[in-house]
Parts: sequence; structure tokens; C-alpha cells
Amino acid sequence: MQTMTLSQTCVMAILQAIAVVIFIFIVVPLTTFAERKVLGYLQDRLGATRIAGSRNGLTGFLNRGMWKMGKVPFLSIVRGLPMFIGDIIKLLVKEDIIPDKADRAIFIIAPALSMVASVVVFAAISFYPGALFTFPRCVPVIGGLPFTGFITNMNVGLLFILGIASVGVYGIVLGAWSSNSKFPLLGGLRSAAQIVSYEVPLTLSLMVPVVLSGSLNFNEMTRMVATQMPIWAVPLLFVGFFVYFTCGFAETNRMPFDMPEAENELVAGFHTEYSGMKFGFFYLAEYINMIVVAALASAFFLGGPFLLPFGLQSFVPATWPLIGGPNVIWFLLKIFFLLFTFIWVRGTIPRYRYDQIMAIAWKYLIPFTLVDVALAAVVRFTMA
Amino acid sequence: MTNFLKTLIPQDIAKGLYLTGQHFMRVFRTANRRKVPLHVVSEYPEVPAKVQPRFRGRLTLLKDEQGEIKCVCCLACEKICPTQVITIESGKKEGRKTKIPLRYDFEMERCIFCEFCVESCGFDSIILNHQFELAAYNREDFSIGMLGTSQNMFELTPVGRYSYSDSDKD
Repeated sequence: MQTMTLSQTCVMAILQAIAVVIFIFIVVPLTTFAERKVLGYLQDRLGATRIAGSRNGLTGFLNRGMWKMGKVPFLSIVRGLPMFIGDIIKLLVKEDIIPDKADRAIFIIAPALSMVASVVVFAAISFYPGALFTFPRCVPVIGGLPFTGFITNMNVGLLFILGIASVGVYGIVLGAWSSNSKFPLLGGLRSAAQIVSYEVPLTLSLMVPVVLSGSLNFNEMTRMVATQMPIWAVPLLFVGFFVYFTCGFAETNRMPFDMPEAENELVAGFHTEYSGMKFGFFYLAEYINMIVVAALASAFFLGGPFLLPFGLQSFVPATWPLIGGPNVIWFLLKIFFLLFTFIWVRGTIPRYRYDQIMAIAWKYLIPFTLVDVALAAVVRFTMA
Repeated sequence: MTNFLKTLIPQDIAKGLYLTGQHFMRVFRTANRRKVPLHVVSEYPEVPAKVQPRFRGRLTLLKDEQGEIKCVCCLACEKICPTQVITIESGKKEGRKTKIPLRYDFEMERCIFCEFCVESCGFDSIILNHQFELAAYNREDFSIGMLGTSQNMFELTPVGRYSYSDSDKD
């Protein structure tokens, strides 16, 4: 990799950041759409099949057009797709209300905080350990340079991710507190307690790949965990994956653990007083957090850009075409499958009680992961 | 020991996920086929809704094979109607032994769709059909009789004019 000048580095970083933002803003609306559709199918319904509107006019035309297209088998799956554009338009057009007694500055900062905290994590996430493509010579500043699958390749990538990701709860707690209303406050308190509890098993379960690979570098960890594991490491990674994913549900406030946003008892939890695009930011942050959790789970446990999960890739020769080496498609497929699993679990498991949530974290997950990490250390000792 | 293992291995969650996954795959595979819908909802305005066989829709006069009105003006339906929405004016016709209704007026806006009239009819000459899209913009449209073309006692209420449904075209 040739050294880059400062301007080249800046331009490249900005381009990659834009690429990541485009990726996010394609995947997030698709996830909200998939959420409607998949939840519908899980419950023997059809999910979104149209956008609301009159018989005549644009929406009516779209509804009818999509229905006519729906007679072709594949297209009927995507019928109702205009809805995700409608979602965004609705959020943008809605009136933005700030309550009189709210703490104005914090009320405005809070959604931005949780949004930024969830997006910045992508700086350390690597989609592909190498160049996705190389710019041709004719491009002005960055001609001949590779467009890598990661923005930065920092040595403490995992530490950075964990640090930034836990800032996200600040947004929730601050937003809840500054709303000056009892339901958001309760939601915020629950969120703080829940995330304090679940940060511990989450981080501990990520210690398993850290111990096994002996590195905190994202690319290095992914490669080591996927390709150079002994057979004994496979069950440890398997257990670690499920613990991490469970904690991921709690971190993103998804359905079995949606205490902060308890729709049954706390109106809408921490975002009760939010409306318009401020609420939209919280909403986006939740879905981006889902992508982050899915990306980390698939990178550290499911082999990342390598095909086989749980370190089983070690038994495939690296010379085999397509499945031997890393490929960005596997990584994206794993992310999408885990996003689907998020929705699947939401449609299956009922909510836990608050004390049950605490019991799961403190009584089961933490001892479980401690044993897991200890065994991983033993495996690491035998590897060396 | 087995209890401990049961606690550690979340097999009930796996069972639940398997069940919902099955439902997902079933609906996912058949959602686009109109013949075998395994989902429990219908896409009503675009697809004509199916009603149960005993559904009580709008009152309709029946004709027999020769195109003769079956009604013999016994006035049973008019008498039993709790909201008195039926008015019959009987008359005679050449070559027919029984009486024949000259007017059979039905005020649908007050009808409660109780089906007493059909039950009381001894000649099976009226039924409640399966129509449920009965909205109209004018009060006159609810006065249904034997005369007139847009809505009368023999034909179905024109649907496309008033509702979102495509069912008249399908």
C-alpha cells in the first residue's frame, strides 16, 4: 500500500464515509420495510401491501400499479415498497414540538447524540480486509489508489467501537430526562439500568474472540477468528455468539428487552415527548445500532467476509475459489440474515418482565461468559 | 442437572422460533398466489372479499326459470318486518293464477338486515344476497324498487360507482 498525501487521505476518507452513509440510508429504510413485511408473514398476515391514499391521484395510481405488478410472483413480495419512502416523508413533514417545560438545549442535542454515536462506530468496522476496487488513473486526486473496505484500520478498533457505542445510551437518558415528563424519565431510568447490566456480558462475550485472536484490530481479529482456530474454539465461539447476540438485543432496545420504550406501560418510553425528525433520529439510531450489532456479530463470530462461521473456515483451504478467500458479499449476507433474525425474534418471543431482564443479565449471562472466556484462554494457551 | 441444562439451553425459544419460521416460510411462499392463500387476511379493495355463506346482504327479489317474479304478494314479509321497510302493492296479470307485485318498495336506509322477511317467505321468492358495499351518496339511492335501472330489486347494487373495489371489473 503506497503512502498517501494528506489531501489524498482526506478525499478518500470522505468518499468512504459517504459510501457508509449511503449504505446506512439504503439498509435502514429497507429494514423498517422488512420489519413490517416479516412481522406480517410471521403472524400469517401480509404486512405492508399499499400506501394510504385515495382511489385517484398518485398514491391510488401507485397502489393499483403495484397490485397489478404483484400478479408477477416476485414483485408481490415487494408490493408496498413505496411505504418506506412514505415513512421518511411523514417523519420529515411532521410538526416538531418541543414541550414548554423541557430543557431546550439538551432536548435538541439528545437525538443527535444517539444518532452520531451509532453512526461513528462505522469508522472502525471493516467490511472487507483489502481493496474493494482501485480508482483509475484518470480520476484527479485519488487516481490509482485503492478503495478499501474499511475507513480506518486502527489497532484498537474494538475498544473504539465499544467506547463509542456505549455513548449512545447518553442520548436516550438525556432525552428522557430533558423531556420533563414522568414516562420518558421512567423509560430513561430503565434504559440506564438495562444498558449498565448488559454492557458487562456484551463486552465479556467479545473478549472470547479477542482472547482467541490476541488482537484488538478489526481486520486482524476477523481473519484470525475465521481462519486460524483449532477445533476446540468452535463451541466457545458458538456460545459467545449467542450471548453476544442476546446482549445485542438488549443494547438496541429490541423487542424481548424493550424496557426503555415499553409501549404497554410507558406510552412510548424515552421518546414520548419527541416528534417529527427528532423522533426520526432516535428511530434511525435504533436501526443503525441493529446494523452495528449485526455487523460485529457476523465479523467476530460468524467469520465476517469469510464464508463459514465459528472458525470453521480454518478447515477450508484458502486456495479454493470463492469460498476460500474473503468476499464482501458473505459479510453483507450475514448482516442481512442477522437483521432478519432481529425481526424474527421480535415476532416470536414475548417481552420479559423487568426483574427477569436483570436476572438474565446478572445470574446467567455474566457467569456463562466468564466461563466461556476462561475456556477461551485455555484454548489460546494450547494454540501458542 | 437436567434442570440446570434446561436453564442453559434455551430450547423453548428455539421451538418458538421454529414455529414462527414455519409460518413465515408458508406465507412467504404462497403470498403471491391467489389460489392458495395461507394468510388469514385479505387484500380487500383490490381482491374481492369472500363472505360467509350465511352472510346477510341486500334484499333481492327472485325470478323463476321463465323470468316470472316468484313473489305472490302474501305480504308476510311486509307484516313481519320490524322496521317496516317493505311496501308491496299487489295486482293481477293475464295468465297467472296468483297475484303479482306491481310495486315492491324497499327502503334500505332503515333496514336492519335481520333476514326475518326471508324466513317468513313461504315461496322462497326473496333472498338476502352477499353484497355488503351498499354505500351511496344520495338518500334516493336507498329507495329500491322494481322500477328504475341503477338500483332495483332484481339486480346487484352497482359497486364500482361508490366503492374503492375493483371487484366489478375482475
